Amino acid sequence: MTAASAVTVAPRLELVGGGVERRGRWLLRGVDLVIEPATLISVVGPNGAGKSTLLRLLSGAWRLTEGRALLGGFDLAALPRRQAARRVAYVPQTVRPTFEFTVREFVTLGRYPHESRLFGTRSADREWIDRCLEDTDVLALAERRVTTLSGGELQRVLMARCLATEAEVLLLDEPTSNLDLAHGLDLLGLARNLACEGRSVVLVLHDLNAAARFADRVAVLDAGALVAEGPPAEVLSPDLLRRVFRVLAVPLAGSAAPVFDFEPLP
Amino acid sequence: MRVAFGGYRAGFWWYMAAGLALLLTFAGIGLFRGSVPLDGRDVLAVLARHLLPGEHDPADPRVDAIVWSLRAPRVVVAAMVGGCLALAGAQMQGLFRNPLASPGIVGTSTGAATGAVFALTFGLAGGFLLAAPLFAVAGAILSLLIVTRIATRDGYTPVTTLLLAGVALNALLAAVNSWLIARSWEQYEAARRIAYWMMGGVTDRGWVHAGMLLPGMVVGCAIAVWFARDLDLLLEGEEVAASLGVDIERAKRAVLWSAAILTGSAVAVSGVVGFVGLVVPHLVRLLLGPVHRRLLPAAFLTGAWFVVGADLLARTVAAPQEVFLGVVTAFVGAPFFLFLLVRHEGEVAVSR
Repeated sequence: MTAASAVTVAPRLELVGGGVERRGRWLLRGVDLVIEPATLISVVGPNGAGKSTLLRLLSGAWRLTEGRALLGGFDLAALPRRQAARRVAYVPQTVRPTFEFTVREFVTLGRYPHESRLFGTRSADREWIDRCLEDTDVLALAERRVTTLSGGELQRVLMARCLATEAEVLLLDEPTSNLDLAHGLDLLGLARNLACEGRSVVLVLHDLNAAARFADRVAVLDAGALVAEGPPAEVLSPDLLRRVFRVLAVPLAGSAAPVFDFEPLP
Repeated sequence: MRVAFGGYRAGFWWYMAAGLALLLTFAGIGLFRGSVPLDGRDVLAVLARHLLPGEHDPADPRVDAIVWSLRAPRVVVAAMVGGCLALAGAQMQGLFRNPLASPGIVGTSTGAATGAVFALTFGLAGGFLLAAPLFAVAGAILSLLIVTRIATRDGYTPVTTLLLAGVALNALLAAVNSWLIARSWEQYEAARRIAYWMMGGVTDRGWVHAGMLLPGMVVGCAIAVWFARDLDLLLEGEEVAASLGVDIERAKRAVLWSAAILTGSAVAVSGVVGFVGLVVPHLVRLLLGPVHRRLLPAAFLTGAWFVVGADLLARTVAAPQEVFLGVVTAFVGAPFFLFLLVRHEGEVAVSR
């Protein structure tokens, strides 16, 4: 897989004192996080820590209850949705589609922020879609119905739709959860390449070792708060993993990135 | 071009050409056939006199009256009503992300009828041509807002809640309609006409009714076209749509208004013609797929020929007596609705 675009430099995306309340419960509160351009940052945390919520806030899909989200210094909430969508793309956790779009139609939905209302997609758009399909290894599926795809195929199609937006900041919620080992590594490699080219990529991952290996920085969430953020080697310590994930992390030697073997707490 | 059922897609332009051919065929039958047998050449002469420029021989006034003042507007109004209802249904199914949503099922048509009955029984419709459609649109938007308010939680509309809210609203509004008509029963003739109108049909509709429908149809279609792409994205859920750049609240409001304007204008003219907005968009989606830039115009055209055809049946099936158009569409649509319920049985319990 090759990364699908020319070199771009992403705008800075930051959350200042970000918090969101839903039905009387704070899902996330007091989060200060900066996503620098050309960075791959991995968000980790136990179930219910607020990882998906964080991505929704960064994408602008959800409004903050307190604090601000800034994109290149501008308030994300004040930006017109179309304009924001051209810069920030968000792939939610995989949900089975119920409507029978073909893969190509589905990926073309990602062109919405660039389309004209009356005339729709142009041929330049279509070439771009082809490249996105190719880069995620789903060109062969282009005419298939999205309702008939396997979990792994669907995840790659979602990634293609995300690339189709040409956004500079990509927010991916557990993009590898349905992928086999090879496609999982491919996708992480693609994310790595995109970051090297100047985009910012935010990944929610469950695999801490993959997070450590591929990410420039790791953000650790626990119970709706950001408990640590920084380079993997500094952040992922046995002590923190014990506190946040309630596991015994045994470091393995012989690797640049921290690699752990996990055991349940005694 | 791919043409097949189910697995593949029918070509859009083939589908539209076939639909146009069907519409013209049904319209032709509607013009040439009726309870009074007419010579085909006389009918042609009347049509030529009204539609073609230049000088024409004066036609037999009796034939002229039958063809141009009775049959032609009836066909045109039927096509307009069918198109509007099917388009409104297609929009609502997209908006609620739910193939069972339609003006009839969730109470929008009944709400429109309530608005129109209100205007008629209080004598507001006498002075101003568009009073009945305007009140009908108001009734339609009110009932739509109520259903949305009840059945939608956090951007999701569970099928069961939507259907039950529709059942309750339909029952309530039907009762209101009966009460409104009953309280004007002293003017027996007027009340009888209103009750008759509400049962749904295009019998005796003239050009004036086409004129009543036209503004709503134009406005509704324009909004529908402008927001067609937003519906594609809304199918994927509000979160995804928002992240891809859709102004969710604006798009939803626009589509709700468009559906209400289309439904209200159609109901004000034809009464409640059920199941068109349910069956037609669903079938078109099966054939052409869910992309609204194709689905919406195709649904409009299909609704047009479907209702013109259904009206032909209503005129001829028990001739010389007429069956209500709403009865014919119900005969086609209700079994289809049941079929959909069975097919979607597994999903009805699922809320997301």
